[in-house]
Amino acid sequence: MSHFSIKKGKNLKIKGSVSYETVDLPLPKQVAVMPPNFKGLKSRLAVKVDDVVKVGSPVITDKSIEGLLVSSPVSGKVVAINRGAKRSLLEVVIETDNLQETISFLNSPSSDASSYSSDQIKKTMLESGLWAVLRQRPFSKIANPSDKPKSLFIHAMNTEPLAADIDYIMEDKDIEYQFGIDILKKLVGVNIHQCIDAQSKAKALKEAKNVETHTFSGPHPAGNIGTHIHCVDPIGKGDVVWFIEVQDVLRVAQLFQKGTYPVERTVAISGEGAKNRVYTKTIVGTPLSSLLQGSDLQNMRCISGSVLTGRNVGKNGYLGFYDSQVTIIPEGGSRKLLGWLVPGFNNYTFSRTYASAFTGKKDFSLDADKNGSDRAIVLNHLYDELNALDIMTYFLLKSVISEDIEESEKLGILECDEEDFALCTFACPSKIDVGGIIQSGLEIIEKEG
Amino acid sequence: MKWLADKSKQLEKLFEKGKPLEKFYPLFEALDTFLLTPGQTTKKAPHVRDSVDIKRVMIFVVVALIPCIIMGIYNTGRQILLAKGLPLECGAAMFEGALKVLPIIIVTYAVGGMWEGLFSTIRKHEINEGFLVTGILFALTLPPTTPLWQVAVGISFGVVIGKEIFGGTGFNVLNPALTARAFIFFAYPVQMSGDMVWVAVDGFSQATPLGIVATAERGTTAVAALQSAGFTLKDMFVGFIPGSIGETSTIACLLGLGFLLITGVASWRIIAGCFLGLGAMSFVFSLFKGPDSLVFFSLPAHWHMVMGGFAFGSIFMATDPVSSAATNPGRWIYGFLIGVLVVLIRMVNPAYPEGVMLAILFMNVFAPTIDHFVVETNVKRRMARATTAEIKS
Repeated sequence: MSHFSIKKGKNLKIKGSVSYETVDLPLPKQVAVMPPNFKGLKSRLAVKVDDVVKVGSPVITDKSIEGLLVSSPVSGKVVAINRGAKRSLLEVVIETDNLQETISFLNSPSSDASSYSSDQIKKTMLESGLWAVLRQRPFSKIANPSDKPKSLFIHAMNTEPLAADIDYIMEDKDIEYQFGIDILKKLVGVNIHQCIDAQSKAKALKEAKNVETHTFSGPHPAGNIGTHIHCVDPIGKGDVVWFIEVQDVLRVAQLFQKGTYPVERTVAISGEGAKNRVYTKTIVGTPLSSLLQGSDLQNMRCISGSVLTGRNVGKNGYLGFYDSQVTIIPEGGSRKLLGWLVPGFNNYTFSRTYASAFTGKKDFSLDADKNGSDRAIVLNHLYDELNALDIMTYFLLKSVISEDIEESEKLGILECDEEDFALCTFACPSKIDVGGIIQSGLEIIEKEG
Repeated sequence: MKWLADKSKQLEKLFEKGKPLEKFYPLFEALDTFLLTPGQTTKKAPHVRDSVDIKRVMIFVVVALIPCIIMGIYNTGRQILLAKGLPLECGAAMFEGALKVLPIIIVTYAVGGMWEGLFSTIRKHEINEGFLVTGILFALTLPPTTPLWQVAVGISFGVVIGKEIFGGTGFNVLNPALTARAFIFFAYPVQMSGDMVWVAVDGFSQATPLGIVATAERGTTAVAALQSAGFTLKDMFVGFIPGSIGETSTIACLLGLGFLLITGVASWRIIAGCFLGLGAMSFVFSLFKGPDSLVFFSLPAHWHMVMGGFAFGSIFMATDPVSSAATNPGRWIYGFLIGVLVVLIRMVNPAYPEGVMLAILFMNVFAPTIDHFVVETNVKRRMARATTAEIKS
């Protein structure tokens, strides 16, 4: 067990925190499986409109890696396949029949991890589609089953703005969680690193066995998986590290306890635009409209995930596969007179160029306004203060822009993901999409192998 | 604001693609976003953004320069009144000073702004607010007697050769304001140096403090030479000495520095490095002071700091984020070496008594090299870390 104190970074002071209350939601009328949730997935449809599916039926398979699939969280009928630009798959919408008929992936499920072999675990996870919860760095895509990872990380800490409190979610989950860990340990056979908040009191996390526990403290991005991997077991050239969200460890446990594809998920409803800011028990792929009943979503931005890394799914969108949070903020975008001149008591900034920096105000109403227009990079000293990784952000950025792959790799692009630079993008006065540029570099590297 | 926003939307149509005024869109954008915030929203994550933008940052630098501008105007007038033997009234000094300084500022902004507008129209990029800073910085580095046509030529060179041919803001190697200043310094030495240019009264000769120390006879000390010429430490700190418009007042520069540090706009590491470097190097030289050495060797560090353009240069010029080092250790080294070079050029270079401009330009050229070594250390450190972690596991 080791402790890492993260000095760089910052917590966003944003309105709309979630109260500790859990609401059980009924099964939604529709759910969606969304290929864009999975980075690098070359999706192929396994269903067509009007097909009948069960819980655990494959909906999408991967063209390049045999056996990878994403399955349906409900039983019912495929009602729509929505495509975007260049016919890319956006959503497969499934209407529920309320029966939740399941496919059984195990003949005799058992709560004893030693009764499963490594191969059996792999096969069951792949067949059921739950394999998709295992992701890898570099590239943050679904783990390749034929890879041998250096280690597996459990992402058991979250410092995203208004994030779900993992301690709260993991209350009374110790047995299930430990079983999930034991199964995963059997599967990978390498070190499992569990990275938790130094303040965490959750019994499930603190007393977990079969893992190496590491504690982290400090501002965001202290809770990012990228930060954890970077500090605990950094990736060199050719290395692959796997990671899994803490809630998904519970799903792994459920799969092997019951033998069916587990779909349950606790989601925090956050952001000032949401009326009832509570935790909800729901299923993956649920529509935001079912989570946000009673909220007026006119002129609101509906984000599956956090304001820093989530996806703008719109009020008719669905919860992302890996997300445990939705955030609703005002859309903003109104034009204000002489914005560069105002004292700005309500203008939130990391810099000290508005009066708000000196008033000690605790939470700000943030909307989706860009607060400026695109300019060339000028203030390059901000990035280093907000990036918890030992990466020279400005130089990495320049190497990606000039498409110098070799230099990018030397500067550590493979250790990074878009989300690790979200704060840099947030704070950049030139409104440079730092994370987006890094992501484009990663995509080029992945494509060229 | 709705009314104004609607009007702007109507007007914008004239500047859209395929419309007659398409080419002038950058000019429209500059004026439009000056009046109203752009009001664009994010398309993807991060969905929220910091309130600060380049416009605000650059305007804050200009605000930080206001004390220097006011002191520059006042001191220019004060030197005129002194030379003419008139009573030193504040209002009269401001008036006389404004008559000399404002035309220089106006010509700088008009001519430089014209180039900015031209290039952004041809290149189809937005007008960068950085020019607001470049323009005023350049004006403040000039002697108050500079002919206006030279001001125009200088800023043209600075904007076009110093910045635009490199690709515009963000890509320039040298600080454009200093490039402009250096250009006219070498192109028109008669109007830019010597004893005749610092006080805006025809035929009036007055050396700057640095000039006095540089030309003092051996055997005396620098401080004694300055005092016998009538320069006290206090005068130099406040800025009541002949020199370029904005550089003379150390206290005005420090006020600006305070503002920049409170608002977090400038890199304090560079400034601290400059002062450290200057202190260290003048200490080294002071070890060799004696009756046979150059008089300059005996000038203490704190006198160096209030003389010439050091405070102005290290606070406003060296900190230009584009042309300075872009790594934290690099910023220390870059600043420190500027301080060292300033003393070196001032003391052992017989040609120019002032070395700040050349020191900063020289280090601008070297900044990428410094950064290169810092980045290499980072690369090596991360590689070593990845392998030790491997061995452990």
